[in-house]
Amino acid sequence: MIDLVQNMLDGLAIGSAYGLLALGFTLIFGVMRRLNMAFGSSILVGIFAGAWLHGQWAAGMIPIFAATVAGAVVASAYVERMSFAWIRGDAALASMASSFAIWMQLEELVARAFPQRSYAFPTFEALPMLELGPFFLRPEHAAMFLTAAVLVAALHWLLTRTLFGLRVRTLSDSRDAARVSGVDVGRVAVLTFGLAAAIGGVAGFLIAATDGQISTKLGMWATMKGLIAMVIGGLGSLRGALVGGLVLGVVEAQAQWYLGASGREICTFALLFAALILLPQGLVGRKDTLARAEAVRRI
Amino acid sequence: MLEIRDIRTSYGKIAALKGVSLEIREGGLTCLLGPNGAGKTTLIWTIAGILKAQSGSMRLGDDELAGLKPHQIVEKGVVTVPENRLVFPEMTVTENLVAGAFSRRRQKGDVAEDLDAVLDRFPRLRERASQEAGTLSGGEQQMLAVGRALMARPKILLMDEPSTGLAPIIVEEIFEIIGQLRDEGRTIFLVEQNANLALDYADHFYLLEQGHVTFGGDPATVDHDDLIARAYLGARKAS
Ligand SMILES: Nc1ncnc2c1ncn2[C@@H]1O[C@H](COP(=O)(O)OP(=O)(O)O)[C@@H](O)[C@H]1O
Ligand SMILES: [Mg+2]
Repeated sequence: MIDLVQNMLDGLAIGSAYGLLALGFTLIFGVMRRLNMAFGSSILVGIFAGAWLHGQWAAGMIPIFAATVAGAVVASAYVERMSFAWIRGDAALASMASSFAIWMQLEELVARAFPQRSYAFPTFEALPMLELGPFFLRPEHAAMFLTAAVLVAALHWLLTRTLFGLRVRTLSDSRDAARVSGVDVGRVAVLTFGLAAAIGGVAGFLIAATDGQISTKLGMWATMKGLIAMVIGGLGSLRGALVGGLVLGVVEAQAQWYLGASGREICTFALLFAALILLPQGLVGRKDTLARAEAVRRI
Repeated sequence: MLEIRDIRTSYGKIAALKGVSLEIREGGLTCLLGPNGAGKTTLIWTIAGILKAQSGSMRLGDDELAGLKPHQIVEKGVVTVPENRLVFPEMTVTENLVAGAFSRRRQKGDVAEDLDAVLDRFPRLRERASQEAGTLSGGEQQMLAVGRALMARPKILLMDEPSTGLAPIIVEEIFEIIGQLRDEGRTIFLVEQNANLALDYADHFYLLEQGHVTFGGDPATVDHDDLIARAYLGARKAS
């Protein structure tokens, strides 16, 4: 019983990072109706920018955090130009294939620049272990959970209380209606992309700072976790992304404890398949806005 | 007020507008009639900048609209009430209306004032102000689409078949609203299939057939029954 609850705590912490990754995917998907396969590799660029700063100058946590987020945003801006802005709005598959190519390109670039198998990333080890009765909360897990909670609250505020948020929502609700309402669709799309990249960068930083070491596999890993969490929660729903991430985190933590590492992978994909078959709308789902027919197919 | 000259728009290789010219006059209701598939919606989306014309010009006073982005056209005051209404279904009525004011240079409080004015005009929307737009009836959604367009303080309102899919009694209500807007001196360009009803309200009308304007006239002075019958029954004379 104690194990079960302890696993739950650990799972919720890592799950909140998955939720952030899924939020990034969802923001882009909601606004663009296109998948950004290069999302994880943009985060990879950010993490390695942070690790480089750490290795070169032994910089503090805050500059490393800033470098990680900035790296992810810059790499994402490149992806946005190459795979989204310059590809027609209705060519979703072309964007997906193109962003896949950019993924490979970014990953290869990072691998060339950082040839070792792994690099050190600074951790929160100075912080004390938190005790909650019989349970333990690793300080980095607490940081992860808290950061995710604060970020989600801020994002919710941004989307529901500001004019920028309203613009983002009009775009994800109905693109043509947004255009006739005077929304500068291109500009909002770019800003949303940047926002998603920043969220991804924060998630990447938290994950790297928890592990203490990073490798070029992290890009692939972030893309997989983010995509799976998004699909479990319901494509295009922000709440779903968060719930999907938490569920994925808890299931993985339990499986890891009771079944070991390979059992965990099996459970992850079993969960994905179960979600696809039993809940094609996702756990939270939504009234299929994303599939809603647009009035006009663009030329 | 808005001069459309020789506009050509195609979907890939299929030409939908084959050189359309017409004028939307200030302070009146100009109506565009035509059978299904004539290209009416294509013209609306072309004026709105969502479809790009291959050639031709659209002059609003001294401004050329062709080549502008949709949001820039809204900023010029040319605002569309699209076919099938296209409200934001997952946003509240109020949010839908506020979204209509995106293009405006806002002064403190004036959006709230306009919001109040629109809700006064459509009391049914006021009752449902915090409801999601997707839960409204068709007629209410049409009112919302009109209200959203009014929030932009339009110089010209483009309305694409506001009566589609509504019960006859609701259609009458919508036309009353259109008549009211016209009487306030607004400039309206109304696209309709419902010719008889539209001509009761129009100051001027054009007939669009297969991507060509085949007639333009004044409903008061032209015996239009013949023309309409010809267009809608599909009998074509070599014009
Ligand atoms: N997205 C599209 N792709 C290809 N052809 C289209 C598309 N939309 C409309 N068309 C064609 O263009 C012509 C004009 O259509 P439309 O402007 O919708 O007519 P209307 O609004 O007068 O009924 C029709 O022949 C229609 O089949
Ligand atoms: Mg039409």
